[in-house]
Amino acid sequence: MSTLEIWADVYKQYWRINFLTALEYRANFLVWFGFTFIYHATALAALWIILREFPVMNGWTFGEMAFLYSLWMLAHALNNTLFLTVGDVPEHVREGEIDRLFIRPLNPLFQVLTTPQQIFPDELVLAILLFILATIWSNPIIDIWFVIFVPLVVIGGALIDFSINLMIATCAFWFVKVDALRWVAFQLEQEFTRYPISIYTKGVRLVLTFLLPYAFMNYFPATFFLDKTEDALHFPPQIGLLSPLVGLATFAVAYSFWRVGLNHYESVGH
Amino acid sequence: MTAVRPYIEFAKVAFSREATYRFEVFTSIGSLLVRVYLFRMVWTALYFHNAGIRALTLQEAITYSTVALLMSLVMDIDQTRLLVSKLEDGSIATDFMKPIVVPLYFFSDGTGEVVFHAATIVPSLLLALLIVHIQVPSPVVLVVFFLSFALGYFVGLLMNFVLNCIAFWTLEIQAMQLIVTWITDLLGGEVIPLVFFPPVLQSFIYILPFAAMYSTPLLIYVGVITPDEYLRVLLLQAMWIVIFAIAAVFMWRFGSRRVVVQGG
Repeated sequence: MSTLEIWADVYKQYWRINFLTALEYRANFLVWFGFTFIYHATALAALWIILREFPVMNGWTFGEMAFLYSLWMLAHALNNTLFLTVGDVPEHVREGEIDRLFIRPLNPLFQVLTTPQQIFPDELVLAILLFILATIWSNPIIDIWFVIFVPLVVIGGALIDFSINLMIATCAFWFVKVDALRWVAFQLEQEFTRYPISIYTKGVRLVLTFLLPYAFMNYFPATFFLDKTEDALHFPPQIGLLSPLVGLATFAVAYSFWRVGLNHYESVGH
Repeated sequence: MTAVRPYIEFAKVAFSREATYRFEVFTSIGSLLVRVYLFRMVWTALYFHNAGIRALTLQEAITYSTVALLMSLVMDIDQTRLLVSKLEDGSIATDFMKPIVVPLYFFSDGTGEVVFHAATIVPSLLLALLIVHIQVPSPVVLVVFFLSFALGYFVGLLMNFVLNCIAFWTLEIQAMQLIVTWITDLLGGEVIPLVFFPPVLQSFIYILPFAAMYSTPLLIYVGVITPDEYLRVLLLQAMWIVIFAIAAVFMWRFGSRRVVVQGG
């Protein structure tokens, strides 16, 4: 068996176990599905209430804000579906389970991403439904570029989300407990991606573009798809199409950092 | 007085326990400040682009959100969550053997935590004042605000206790609690002042207990609830305390009986 075949086989088994556990704990699954649904429903309800009282936010209508939200939700849900287990790294470090990853002849990060959980792509399904609705509400130009680039942008966005989580998880090799850091990053992501970044001051826009490039998950692509003329940093609208590249670049940085973390951990010699 | 003694000790232990997580405190204050700043930018953008007369001025909206965030430092603490973890690991069985009133033990443990977090409001407030300018009402209004805040706090505390008691039957309640938290945040007026909700929705929301937690004290603070309405709104909050207290007694009585029947 070639390496690639082994990877594919492990990955297939991993998803089989995920589905089987989700099926076994059906009641639990339903509760968590309700959780996911209510979470996004309250966020959208809040947007709707606000934009009913204040019809435009920097030129964005409710439909356009919903589109902005659904782009983020798609990327975030894809990240949660494929890469959620990276959040368990700090716990693996704490419990000493990480040593096991070094012994097995498989890439440690791949092993982290294939630790069985109870993952089900329910959030992704909700995200697709919302995206369809938001597309009807906001009326973007649907052409060949839209069809090609929406999936690419979503994959890029998921990579950005994943890479930032990976970097935070890697910090656990030094600090062990990074719960607070994770919580803060998560909060920043969900609150700062909810609105067009043009409402923020210059410094915040720069951070969201270059340092923690969350703006490439939804803001820049949405301005392109919706043909918005306002632009937060005077970039041409096509910049939104760079999301896949930004995703790959952030992943390259995050992965290098992860390798440094792994080496550091070995040198301590637990 | 001696009867109170152990409970004060429980609270002290919880206080020192919380104080050991200093990094957590710094990050929670840090994230609060970021959110204070975020709300200021959001409200400014909204008011700047939408002319018209509203229930709140821009300054009042910023004040409202900032005070709401500071309140959440204390309101968001689930004071009786010890109940759930004790049910999970089964240690509640031994608590029943001790010469203490078990719910009071959970309550004191939570109080220590709350007192600690209440102390973090002061530095947060000072730092928040550096970022945004908030209005300070007259002393009379402030006194009524704190009274209403306290009542709202007890509504939340009792509601949480009732929810935690559900764990006697189901054990896993984390997802459900988060759902209730989000609904409370939205319908309680923490995220968006209820006066901005569509009128039809408003009349519906005011029947629910959530407004008693955040909305009432906050609207008193910014002056939307005027002095002639104070008595009515405070009594309404008190009414919710009574309702949840009755529910709490029932839930505890039936729930704790289950533990005894199972034998822990």
